Amino acid sequence: MTLSQILWIYMYLTLIGLIAVSVYGIVRRPNLLKKIIALSIFGDTANTFIIFIGFRRGAATVPILPTLNPTLEQLIAFKNTAVDPLPQCLVLTAIVINMSVTAFLTALAIQLYRLYGTLDVREAVKLKW
Amino acid sequence: MKAKTLEEEKTHEVIIGAGIAILLILTVFAIILGVTGYTPSENIRPLAQFYLYYAMNTFKKELWAATPEAVNSMVWDYRGYDTLFETSVFFLAVIGAVSVLRLPGVKDVVSKGILSGRGLSLIVKVITKFIVAFILIVAISIAIHGNLTPGGGFQAGAAVSIASLIGLAAFSRIFLEERHVTTKLMLPIRVLGVVGIGLVALVPAFIALSGILVFAMQNQPKVWAPNFGFPPGFGDFWLSGNQFYYNFFEFLAVGAGFTVIYLMYSIPEYFYKEVLGKK
Repeated sequence: MTLSQILWIYMYLTLIGLIAVSVYGIVRRPNLLKKIIALSIFGDTANTFIIFIGFRRGAATVPILPTLNPTLEQLIAFKNTAVDPLPQCLVLTAIVINMSVTAFLTALAIQLYRLYGTLDVREAVKLKW
Repeated sequence: MKAKTLEEEKTHEVIIGAGIAILLILTVFAIILGVTGYTPSENIRPLAQFYLYYAMNTFKKELWAATPEAVNSMVWDYRGYDTLFETSVFFLAVIGAVSVLRLPGVKDVVSKGILSGRGLSLIVKVITKFIVAFILIVAISIAIHGNLTPGGGFQAGAAVSIASLIGLAAFSRIFLEERHVTTKLMLPIRVLGVVGIGLVALVPAFIALSGILVFAMQNQPKVWAPNFGFPPGFGDFWLSGNQFYYNFFEFLAVGAGFTVIYLMYSIPEYFYKEVLGKK
């Protein structure tokens, strides 16, 4: 097993650990703010995982062609060296959506606290709406 | 029902935690070792190779997207529908946040002079002014060069909203309102962005009324619809077909959307207490 392989497995284990912590936070923590923080950690971890899938070994380059008039050789070289752009495309939009959903959930939590004085879901379910 | 003791609850928690951990470890290892092979692999998927090869392929113009940036070619051309509906998710999330935080019956929530004389020190304020100017320049450049260099409408919008956020932190809501950064102005700009994206996506539909076969969101001429395509650029000014317009309108929508949310968050608490207390 090479050093690079060990490092990749170490990174995956770190991501697994982060997902485990964030799922625990979402499922078991009663405080809504902690649930939101855990949810955003979960989203970021998933994004990092998707980016890792798109990476390629060797001399990987960015998926951007440096010229507007490429030759056929340049295009083939680009195809053979650039990293997978598809995960980057998915993550690009996912980050912004994640941010807007977090903003919406935070707005709900703030309003819940203003109206009922609690962020604890165990208290909130007992309230008369 | 008998109430659970503390010990029972702890055991319960440990079992759930261990279960989640084992499930995740098995799933992720199955993905790493089974489905995708050893990652990172030396070769990428054939689909990704297709995108990389054809995004700026001037020799095969019925398959190209006219942009040297492969990520942008997917965001607004090859997988344009994906982005279109993600934009609508973003739009709805902002509407949700604004409607939850709205203050019924209060027109002008912040009157001038309430917070005057407060704020951070002079050093912070001067530096913030410089940084805000730099952020605005960088954000606009990210937006209009999104089809050529890393970036695009989403990133530029997120960047420009940070300018308003640090403005709020270093100065106040009044500072922004005096410079016309108000919810009243930002909401129409956001709508303009989303309507602009919709109109650019519908241009092929208007063309189709004249009897030519085109696809919705079509950028460059395709094999089945060779008669329509946005101009890829004017001389040195490279537009990448419709992607320049998409990036610009997305910049408006995302930037104004986040700015609205930050402005709503920054309404002083006593206004809410006043309004909600009357209920």
